[in-house]
Amino acid sequence: MGNIYLGVDIGSVSINIVAIDEENRILFKLYTRNSGQPVELVKDGIQQLRIKLNNKIKIDGVGVTGSGRQLVGYILGADIVKNEITAHAMATTYFYPETGTIFEIGGQDSKLIIVKDGIATDFAMNTVCAAGTGSFLDHQAERLGIPIEEFGDLALQAKRDVRIAGRCTVFAESDMISKQQYGFTKSEIIKGLCRALVRNYMNNLVRNRNLQGKYIFQGGVAANLGIKAAFAEEVGEKIIIPEHYNVMGAIGIAQLAKAEIKKTGKNTSFKGFNITKDSFETTSFNCEGCANSCEVIKVQANGQTIAMTGDRCGKWSDQINHKKREQQETGS
Amino acid sequence: MGKLKLGIPRALLYYFYYPFWEKLFSELDIELIVSNYTSREQLDKGIKYSISEICVPIKVYIGHVLDLINQGVDYVYIPRIISIKKNIFLCPKFLGLPDMIKNSIPEIENKILTHQITAKDDSLAGFKNYLGMADKLNISKWKLFWALQKANSHWQEHRKTQLQVNIDKKVLTIALIGYVYNIYDRFINMDLLRHLREMGINIVTFEMVDSQIIEQEVKLFPKPMFWEFTNKLLGAGYHFLKSPDIDGIIYVSAFGCGPDSILGSFLEIDANQANKPFMTLRIDEQTGESHLLTRIEAFVDLLKLKKS
Ligand code: SF4
Ligand code: SF4
Repeated sequence: MGNIYLGVDIGSVSINIVAIDEENRILFKLYTRNSGQPVELVKDGIQQLRIKLNNKIKIDGVGVTGSGRQLVGYILGADIVKNEITAHAMATTYFYPETGTIFEIGGQDSKLIIVKDGIATDFAMNTVCAAGTGSFLDHQAERLGIPIEEFGDLALQAKRDVRIAGRCTVFAESDMISKQQYGFTKSEIIKGLCRALVRNYMNNLVRNRNLQGKYIFQGGVAANLGIKAAFAEEVGEKIIIPEHYNVMGAIGIAQLAKAEIKKTGKNTSFKGFNITKDSFETTSFNCEGCANSCEVIKVQANGQTIAMTGDRCGKWSDQINHKKREQQETGS
Repeated sequence: MGKLKLGIPRALLYYFYYPFWEKLFSELDIELIVSNYTSREQLDKGIKYSISEICVPIKVYIGHVLDLINQGVDYVYIPRIISIKKNIFLCPKFLGLPDMIKNSIPEIENKILTHQITAKDDSLAGFKNYLGMADKLNISKWKLFWALQKANSHWQEHRKTQLQVNIDKKVLTIALIGYVYNIYDRFINMDLLRHLREMGINIVTFEMVDSQIIEQEVKLFPKPMFWEFTNKLLGAGYHFLKSPDIDGIIYVSAFGCGPDSILGSFLEIDANQANKPFMTLRIDEQTGESHLLTRIEAFVDLLKLKKS
């Protein structure tokens, strides 16, 4: 079997793992909800990968992305740890070289990436306002008593348009209730909500940018047909949903890991499948070193400290990095 | 009687005028105490004493004033800098700074050392501005005069060294547009400069641009901004937009800043036109560091791809 590269995306809502081969074919793909135990989920995912590929594998490169990338990067021994914008752009432009605009909406955040000639040229991110992310829909679906999976399809059944104020989740809620009282149907309300989300996205992220096709829509929310339709209406063009829409970040970072290994000619620093047997412990403490009283996070593997983050001055993280450098230099 | 202990908040224009103040007060035989670096604790105190609508840098400033009082200074130096250019003022927050502090921390009213500064250029050394203060502190006019001279030439020298920048064209150069108190306060911007340097980036800021160039750029505007530091950023920003050596611009803006919202829109629209990569980082009271890192890393990746 040829070379295999692993890509791991640690988002706040989901954790995704993919394995690709030399030709970027997807050999394995896993999308799981992040239950707050990323390390355990990653261990479990890697175990599944091993079983799926019949134990007969050697990993040639590992990349980690997503908001929790640092920690998991340490644990896996990643060859590359990169932000999710770069990772997403990488995968999307690979599958769709003519991409002009990438809409990405996940559970807790949303992103916009502008691409020109296969290269990302601009981006915007929203992590503060829930009204432009999947959690907005989750929330409203719950209020309406509709499973989120059916939400998007219902939107397509709407006969009339109704405008729902979607500037903020709180307003949306009260507006939704009053529109229901006016006699709009559930599917009309849902369509209104989908359009409100897209309007928010346009206001917060796109702003005065000039968008160009092709339009790619990815991230967990891309499964929602109502949102897809609302985007299509907004830009007046077809919206493409990639086959692997919910793991694009993981695919991108696997590709970046491959590129990194090719570029440096190094062997992977992947710690191996045995990490599934290691026990990791994450603790935190408040440093009393100065008035910042940082909450420092400490990661231990089998009792040994392998990472420390969260210190503003580098007092703790530098120690670890220093030790690592020494070890590398002495070759141990 | 020992030397008078005068506190200077390490905030706002400290990051532009400190060399001047340092020289001035040492020449006047006054012991200067600069407040500690911004910290979580200090900022939290500043927030507590501020009205909530005010911009973040003022909240930071209030935290620093409290820190100095805590350190037992005799006075805190809070000048009212009105103008450093004819017919152009500083942001209203500066014009009302001493009053705002009195209002926020009434207990310290008699610990504020203030006077008005109206100047026609960046130098704060205009003699007349200091007469009242010298009187209050029993300093002779003669001594004041010479102290101002020395402080001024010291500061001018310092400004000249800031202008000498070499741009290494092989690595990425990013222009940072933002007020000095946002660019240089490591706490408030989550060590943006260090992160960029660790990524091997050259950084340029408005202080590195000749003021004549800045003024020329500002003149191209049918109507300049009302506030001087905003003008400087505007001029420098347009200069950077046109400079081929600048690979991208990061605009660091403070949450709650009025002037910023205008400046930011101008730059954003024209960066788009000029095809210059542009990103806005908004500084507020509690943005997460990982979010900031993600954004600057992604921005740097994008510039690298473009350059290669
Ligand atoms: S980690 Fe550094 S910055 Fe944070 S509290 Fe300790 S000494 Fe201060
Ligand atoms: S220019 Fe903006 S950030 Fe500075 S003091 Fe004025 S309002 Fe605050």
